[in-house]
Amino acid sequence: MSIPLVPQLLRSHLVELAENDQRLDGRRQWDGREVQLEIGILGNAEGSAKVRMGDTIVYAGVKFQTMTPYSDRPNQGGLMCSAELRPVAGRKHEPGPPSPESIELGRVVDRGIRESGCIDTEALCIIPGEKAWQVILDLYAISDDGNLFDAFALAGIAALRNAVIPFAKYELGDDRPLDVSKTPIMCSYHRVGGRYVYDASGREELGGDERIHITLGADAHVHSLQKGLKGTFTAGEFAELMEQARIKGDELRDLVHSLEGGN
Amino acid sequence: MITSTVMKGGSVARLDNMSGKGNAAGPHDSQQAPLLVAPGEDLGDSEDYEVGHGVIVMDGRLRATKQGQMKKDGKSVSILPSRTKYFPRPGDLVIGLVEGCTNNIWFVDIGAPFNAILPMSLGPAKMEFGGTRSVIDIGEAILCRVQEVEETHSSVVTMKGMGLRKIRSGVVEDIDPHLLGRLIGRQGKALRQLKEDTECRVVAAENGRIWIDGDFEGMLEVRTRLRAMTAEAKAATPGGVA
Amino acid sequence: MGYGDVQMIDENGIRVDGRKAGDVRPISIELGVVPVADGSCRMTWGTNEVIVAVYGPMEAHPRKIQRQDRAVLDVRYNMAPFSTSDRIRPGFNRRSREISKVTSDALESVVLLELYPRSKIRVEIEIICAEAGTRCVGLTAASVALADAGIPMTDLVVSVASGKINGVVVCDLNKAEDNYGEADLPMGVLPNSGELAFLQMDGDLSQEEFQEAWDYNMEAAIVIGDYCAEALKNGGYNL
Repeated sequence: MSIPLVPQLLRSHLVELAENDQRLDGRRQWDGREVQLEIGILGNAEGSAKVRMGDTIVYAGVKFQTMTPYSDRPNQGGLMCSAELRPVAGRKHEPGPPSPESIELGRVVDRGIRESGCIDTEALCIIPGEKAWQVILDLYAISDDGNLFDAFALAGIAALRNAVIPFAKYELGDDRPLDVSKTPIMCSYHRVGGRYVYDASGREELGGDERIHITLGADAHVHSLQKGLKGTFTAGEFAELMEQARIKGDELRDLVHSLEGGN
Repeated sequence: MITSTVMKGGSVARLDNMSGKGNAAGPHDSQQAPLLVAPGEDLGDSEDYEVGHGVIVMDGRLRATKQGQMKKDGKSVSILPSRTKYFPRPGDLVIGLVEGCTNNIWFVDIGAPFNAILPMSLGPAKMEFGGTRSVIDIGEAILCRVQEVEETHSSVVTMKGMGLRKIRSGVVEDIDPHLLGRLIGRQGKALRQLKEDTECRVVAAENGRIWIDGDFEGMLEVRTRLRAMTAEAKAATPGGVA
Repeated sequence: MGYGDVQMIDENGIRVDGRKAGDVRPISIELGVVPVADGSCRMTWGTNEVIVAVYGPMEAHPRKIQRQDRAVLDVRYNMAPFSTSDRIRPGFNRRSREISKVTSDALESVVLLELYPRSKIRVEIEIICAEAGTRCVGLTAASVALADAGIPMTDLVVSVASGKINGVVVCDLNKAEDNYGEADLPMGVLPNSGELAFLQMDGDLSQEEFQEAWDYNMEAAIVIGDYCAEALKNGGYNL
C-alpha cells in the first residue's frame, strides 16, 4: 500500500471515515497500534532500545564520549540527540543531507527528553573544568509507517534508562548506570479527515494536516509541546489531547518501567 | 555489552559435516509436494523445455532466478514468485497516479519499474495546449489503458476508450499483482460475488490497483476482505506463495 | 605490539571464541523485517547485525543516472553511529563509499538488470552492530534481500572473509582476528556456480596459505548459500 503522492481521493475518503468515527485500518480515534519494546539489544552501545509501532520500526543507541566542559558551565556534561531518517526506512526517503522533516523530528524528540530534566548534567562531571561525560543518543529509523516522533521518543527514553556509563573503558573507575530520574513520554496527534487522531499511520500522515506533540512526565507534568505544519486548533481540542496524552503516557511509561526489573 | 569475544554457547556451522548439494538430475515434477526454489538453483536439463517466468537457461541447464514455487506445465517451467512487480503490456487496464505534467503530457505512475506518459492527444477531453493541470491535476488517479510499451521510451497510456476516466470518488487500494487471479476468481466469479455482497463498484486493474466505489459500509467491507485475502495468501505456504 | 604476539589459537587448534580453524560464526536470517520495503533481510553473523532493505525496480531519478538498456543499482552501505565500540559520526565516509561501490559491482554480476531498462533498484545496507566482516555480511544479506523482493538474479552472492592468525589459516575472521591477524581475504562467491563476484585481500599469505584461505571461503559460501536458500523458502532460518 505505497502510493507516493497524496491522491485527492485519499483525503476525501479520510474525511468520510472521520465522520463515521472510523480510521483506515479499523482503529478508533484514540487507539494506538500494537507497541513492542525491547531494551539492551545493541552489543556495542552503552544503552539501547528497539521500538515497533505497527510497521514503524526504530532503534535507539546511547554512546558515551568524554568532553571538555564549556567554559561557562565547567561542572556540566552534555546530552546530544541525533535523529537519522535514512533511505532504508522508506521509498520516499532519499539519500542526501538531512531534510527539514528529519531535523524537526530530531529536535522535537530531543526537547521532549532534555527539557524534562531527566538527566542531571552536573552528575556527568568527571573533573570540573576539564572533563565530563557527553551522552549521545542516536535515533535510527529502519521502517517508516508513520509516527516516527513517538517511536523515537519512546525508544530514546528507554535506551537512556538502561544506559551504563563506561568508566572502566576509559580507566576512570567502575561502570555505573546513567541516572535518569524521569520517564517523559511523547504522544503525537495528527488532524486526519478533520479531527485529531492518535498514532497516525503512514497513509494517515500523508492525507492528514497539522500535528501536535505533547511530552508528559508522571503526574501529568508538562515537559514539552510542539505544533507542526499548517493549520489551527481550538482550546477545547487541545484540552482533549492533553487528557488523552496523560492516559496513553501513563500506559507507555508503565511499559518502559516493566522492562527494568530491579530498578 | 560484549566485553570479550568468547561466544556464549550456540551452534556453529562445521564444514566437515556439510551435506552435499542437490542431485544433478534436478528437482522432481511438481505432481509431488510443491517444490520451493531459490535464485540460482538448478532445475534440470533445459532440453525439451521452454522457459517461463523466473527461469533462464545457463550452460544447457534450467536455472531459477526467483524464489517461489516451481511449476512444470507440460513443456514449460516457470516460477510462481511470492512477490511480483507489475510489468506493463499493451492493452492492460491500469489505474495510474499523475505525478507530474508539462504543457501537453502527463507523467503517470502505474506501479511499474518506470512511469508512463499520457499525451494530450490521448487525454480525456478536447483541451488547449497548456491546460493539462486543469483537466487532470497532480495527485489524481485515472483509469486508463496501456497503449504501447517500447524499449527506448516510456510506455504510453490512453484514456480514449470505453469506461476510461478520471477517478472522482471512492478509494484506490493496491495488492500484489499475482493475487489478482485469486481476487477475480474463475471466470470472474469471485469478483462478481464481492460486488454483489457489498453493492460496490470494484474495478481490478492489471497493475494490482483496485478502484472501490460505493457507500461507506460497502467500501469498508471490500477493503477488509482485500486485507484478509492478502494475509491468507501470505500464510498459505511456507514461501508465502499464493 | 607485534601483531604476531597476540595468542588467538591454541595448540589444540581452538580459537578464542571456541571455534576450530574451519568453523563459521553462528548465522541467523530473517526476511521481511522492513515491512514498508519491497524486500528486506536481517542477518546476524557472530555479533554482527545487518539490515538490508530493497526498493524497486522504480523510475530512475534523477534522469542523469538512468540507463536506456538496463536498470541501475543504487547501493548504500552505512554504519549506524552506535554500531561500533567508538561512536561513528553520521555523514560522508570514504570507507562506506568504497564498500557501497564494490558491493554494487558484486551484485550487478547476478541481477538481471536488462529486464528493467531505465529504472533503478535501491539497496540500503545498514550495519546495526559491527563485529568484523561487515562488508561480507552486508553483501550476503543484500543478495538475500533482493531475492526477497522478487528481483530476478542468476544466483545469490555469499561473502566470507578468511585469513591467517598466528601463522594458521582460519575461516571467517572475528574482530580480534581481523585486528591482530596477518592476513584478510574476503571473497564474494556465487554458490551455485562457484564463480566470484567480489575479491579483496590484505596482508601476507604464501601461495599454499592463499589456496587454503580460498578453499575455506568457497566451502563456507556453499554451506551458507544453502542456509540462505532455505531461509528464502521458509521465510526465515536460524542457524
